[in-house]
Amino acid sequence: MNDILSKTEEIAKKAKKLGADEVVAKTTFGKYRQVRFSNNQVDITVAWNDYVTDVALAWKKRVVATQIRNFQDTDANIKKLLELAKVSAENPMFGGFAKGNFRYAKSKADKKLEDLDSPTEYVYEGIEAAEKEAGSKVESGGILFTKYEDVYLASSEGPVGADSRSAIEFSIRAFTEREASGHGVECSSGLKDFKPARAGTKAGEIAKLAKNPKIGDEGAYDVVFDPLIMGSSLGVWGQMASAFSVMIQLSVFVNRIGQKVAPEIVTLKDNPAAYSMSNRTFDDEGVPTKETTIIDHGVLKAYLHNASTAKIFKTETTGNAGLPYPNPWNIELAAGDRSKNELFRDMKKGLYLTNTWYTRFQNYAKGDFSTIPRDGIFLIEKGKIKQSLKDLRISDNTLTMLNNIVAISKERQPVHWWAEADPPSLSPYVMFKDVHLTKSR
Amino acid sequence: MDEEIVDYTLDYAQSKKIEYAEVRALSQVQDRLALRNGILEAYVSAVEDGFCVRIIANGGIGFASTNKWSKEEAKEIVDLAFKYAKAAGRKDKLVFAKEKGIKTKWVVDQKKKIENVSPEERISTLGEVDKALASCGVKIAATMTQCTIDLISKYFVNSEGSKITSFVPKIGLFFYITVAEQGKMEQAYKQFGYSGGWEAFKLLNVPEKMVHNAKVLKDVITKAKTVKPGDMDLVCGPEVTGIAAHESCGHPMEGDRILGREMSQAGRSFIYKGGPYWIGTRIGSDVVTVVDDPTVEHSYGYYAYDDEGVKAKRRFLYKNGIINEFLHNRESAAKLNTRSNGSSRSINYDREAIVRMANTFVLPGDMTDEELIEDVKYGVYMKSFNEWNIDDKRFNQRYVGREAYLIENGELKHPVARPIIETTTLKFWSAVDAVSKKIEFEAATCGKGDPGQGVPVYTGGPCIRLRKVYVR
Repeated sequence: MNDILSKTEEIAKKAKKLGADEVVAKTTFGKYRQVRFSNNQVDITVAWNDYVTDVALAWKKRVVATQIRNFQDTDANIKKLLELAKVSAENPMFGGFAKGNFRYAKSKADKKLEDLDSPTEYVYEGIEAAEKEAGSKVESGGILFTKYEDVYLASSEGPVGADSRSAIEFSIRAFTEREASGHGVECSSGLKDFKPARAGTKAGEIAKLAKNPKIGDEGAYDVVFDPLIMGSSLGVWGQMASAFSVMIQLSVFVNRIGQKVAPEIVTLKDNPAAYSMSNRTFDDEGVPTKETTIIDHGVLKAYLHNASTAKIFKTETTGNAGLPYPNPWNIELAAGDRSKNELFRDMKKGLYLTNTWYTRFQNYAKGDFSTIPRDGIFLIEKGKIKQSLKDLRISDNTLTMLNNIVAISKERQPVHWWAEADPPSLSPYVMFKDVHLTKSR
Repeated sequence: MDEEIVDYTLDYAQSKKIEYAEVRALSQVQDRLALRNGILEAYVSAVEDGFCVRIIANGGIGFASTNKWSKEEAKEIVDLAFKYAKAAGRKDKLVFAKEKGIKTKWVVDQKKKIENVSPEERISTLGEVDKALASCGVKIAATMTQCTIDLISKYFVNSEGSKITSFVPKIGLFFYITVAEQGKMEQAYKQFGYSGGWEAFKLLNVPEKMVHNAKVLKDVITKAKTVKPGDMDLVCGPEVTGIAAHESCGHPMEGDRILGREMSQAGRSFIYKGGPYWIGTRIGSDVVTVVDDPTVEHSYGYYAYDDEGVKAKRRFLYKNGIINEFLHNRESAAKLNTRSNGSSRSINYDREAIVRMANTFVLPGDMTDEELIEDVKYGVYMKSFNEWNIDDKRFNQRYVGREAYLIENGELKHPVARPIIETTTLKFWSAVDAVSKKIEFEAATCGKGDPGQGVPVYTGGPCIRLRKVYVR
C-alpha cells in the first residue's frame, strides 16, 4: 500500500513542479457495503468500491480542486487543474493549507469491515430482537452499513500520512401498528461490542409502548430527549460550530465566542475518537485530529477550523479541515450527573420524544426552526408513561433550547442515522424545559 | 466511459443463473463553484465516471458498483452482486414488472453549449448576482452561492435487450442570503435549475430574482406585521403551491413508500392497502389536479427514459381531487400488479434506482391571479416560503411564508411577517376552491434513499385559493 502513498505524493510533487503554490492530494480506496431491509425482509444488498484521489491546489490565492479516479490520466488532470487555477478568481481570504510535519496516532480501524462475510445475518439478528420484544407481528425496516477506507495524504506543506477508517451502523425502525413505531441504532467503528440486537430491542420496546397513539395537544412542555433525537440536535449544533457556517451567518454562534450560550452543565465537544464512526487520525489538510471543546460549561469557546478559517479568526486550526470547508466530525455532549431513570422520575408532567426528522430553519442566525418528532412520543406524568401521542411538531429556537437544558444523563450512546442525525455523535438523554409544540389545524 | 466493458459486464452477469441483470454506466463532467459574499472560495472541476450492475437471482436483488474500468473489476462486482442477491433469503421473491427491451438514444439540446463557456465567463456570470445585490439598496450581511454544472452521459443495457444512451447538460444554482436592517436579520434561500445549455442564465433572470428576494427580506424587517391567528382565506403563490404538491401529493404517491420499502428512512405514506385512502378516494376538491411529468422540456427534472429504461410520461397523481395513480418503478409496480410509469431514478452510477418524482405541479385553471385575490374579504397571500416540513406519512405539513401580504376586501395590503399554515394534506387540498391559469416552476432537490440521493426536480403550479384555513 506504500505504492499508493507514493503515487499520491507524486501527484502533489507534480502539481508543485508545474507551478502550484500549495497542493494537497488525498487518495481514498474505499469499500462500502449496505443491506437495506423492510417488512422484515432484505430488499437489496449493495457494494460500492471507490478509488479516488482528491486534489486541491492554490495558485496566487486561486483555489481549485479535482478528483482523479484510480490514478488515470494523472498528468493531464493536474495540468488541466493548474490551467483552471490560472483563469480562476482570487480568494483574498485564503490563508494557505496547513503547514508542518506531524506524527499521527496509529489507526485502530477494524479490518474485518472490509468485506463482511454474511452481512444479512446481522440484519436478521436485529429483526429477531425487535420481534422478541414487540411480538411476531412487528414490521421492521432499516439498513446495515459498513465502511472500510484506506486513506493516503500528501501535502506540499509538509504533512504526509496514511490512515485506515472503518465504521459499522445498524439502524432499525419497528412498527407494531400503522402509527406506532420505535427506532434504534447501533453505531461503532468496529465489530467489537457491536450488537445489532440492542438496536432491535430498543426499536421493539418503543414500538410496543407507542401503541394506540392519540393526537397530542399544543403547548410548552418539559421534554426528555432520547439519545436518538438528541443526536439530531447535536448534529445541527456541530454544523453551526463550523467556522464556515459562522462566516456565512448560518449559525446562532456568530459573535458569541466567550459568551454564555447554555447552562453550566452543557459541555460540547468535537472528537473523531477511535470509537466513533468518524474515526480518523488526520484531517483533509493532514493536521492530526483532536478533541475540541466547542462549549465549555455553558460558555462558547471555539469554532471548528481548517488552516484558512483559523487565520481569518486569528486562531489555530482545530483539525477539522474538509476541502474546502471545516466540518464537525463527531459531536459529544458531556455526560451529566443524573441517571436516565432519575430524569424520568423527576418529571411531573412532560413529554418523552424518541426521534425526529425534517428539521428546517426559518432563520439560522436567529435559530428559529421546526422539526417533526416521529416514532414514540409519550406523555409522562409523575415519571410514568401516561399516553402514547402522535402528530406533534417542535416549533422553537436553537438558542432558547440550549439555554433551557435542565438535566443530562450519565448514560450516553453513539448515534447516527441517515441525514437526520449526522454527523455522528455521543449522545445522552437530555431534559429541556418549556419546549414549544404545535400541531395541524 | 468504456461501453465495451459495460457490454462485457452484462454478458458476464448473464453467464450466471440470474432472473434479470442490468448494467448502468455514468460519466459526469462536473464543475462546482462556491462563492461567499461574491468571492470565489473554490472552483472544483472533476469527472465522475463508473458503472454498476444490478442482478435479480433467487428472488433477491444484489447491486455493486465501481469506478475502476477493467474486466477484472467488472467480474468482481458481478460476483458480489450475484452473491448478495442469492443471500437475501426472501420469503416472497422479487420480480420486475414486464417491459420490452428498448434500443434508443436521447439528448437534451443546448442553445449555447456549456462546453464552450470558459471558466472566466462562468465565474463572472455568477458574480453578477452579488454585484446586483450590492447595489440594490438593501444591507446584505452575507451571501452564499453554489453552482453546479453537469454534463451527464449514461449508457444502460439490460438482459431484456435494452440499450439506451443519453446526454443531459444540467445547471443548478443555490443561494442563501442574509439581510440586516435596523439591527435585525432575515434570511432566504433560493434555488434555480435547468436542463440545457448556458442560455439558462438569461432565461432564469437570476440577479433580478435575488434582488427581489433581498427587498422582500428588507420589507419583512421594516414593514411587515404579524397576522392575528384564525380561520381565513389563503392564496398560495406558485412556489407554495409547488412545495405542497411535492410534499403532500408526490411523496405519498411513491409506490415504494406505499409498500413500506422506505419505512425506516423517508417513511411510509398515509396511503396504504386496507387504509382510509387508496386509488379512487377523494383527497381534495375537484379543482385540484396534481401531475408529475418528466417530459417538461428543459425542466430540472427532465428525462426521456428513466434509469430502468422505461419511457417517461405524465402521471396524474391527484385527478380532480381523487387519488388516481401512484409513481412506480418496475419493482413496486410488480408488487401492485401494474406497470412501471417510468419513475425510476438514480443520482449516480453507485446508487440504486428508486421511485422518484420528476416535476410535480398543480395543473392550471381558468382564473387570473387577480380574480383569485379579488374575491377574498380577509386573508393572506403567501407568495413564497422559507421554512417547511411534513411528517413521514406525508399528512401533517407546515409552510412558513417569506413574501406574504395581507388581503383585505380583495386588495393587497401590507407585508405579513412569517405567516404559518400548519395543516393536514386532506384539509389543505380540500380547502382549494380556485386555481389560476398562470403556471410557474421552481427548482428543488428532492431527498430520498439511503445513502441519500438528492435528485433535481421542479415543483410548481399556479396560484391556488384555500377557503377558511387556520393561519397563524
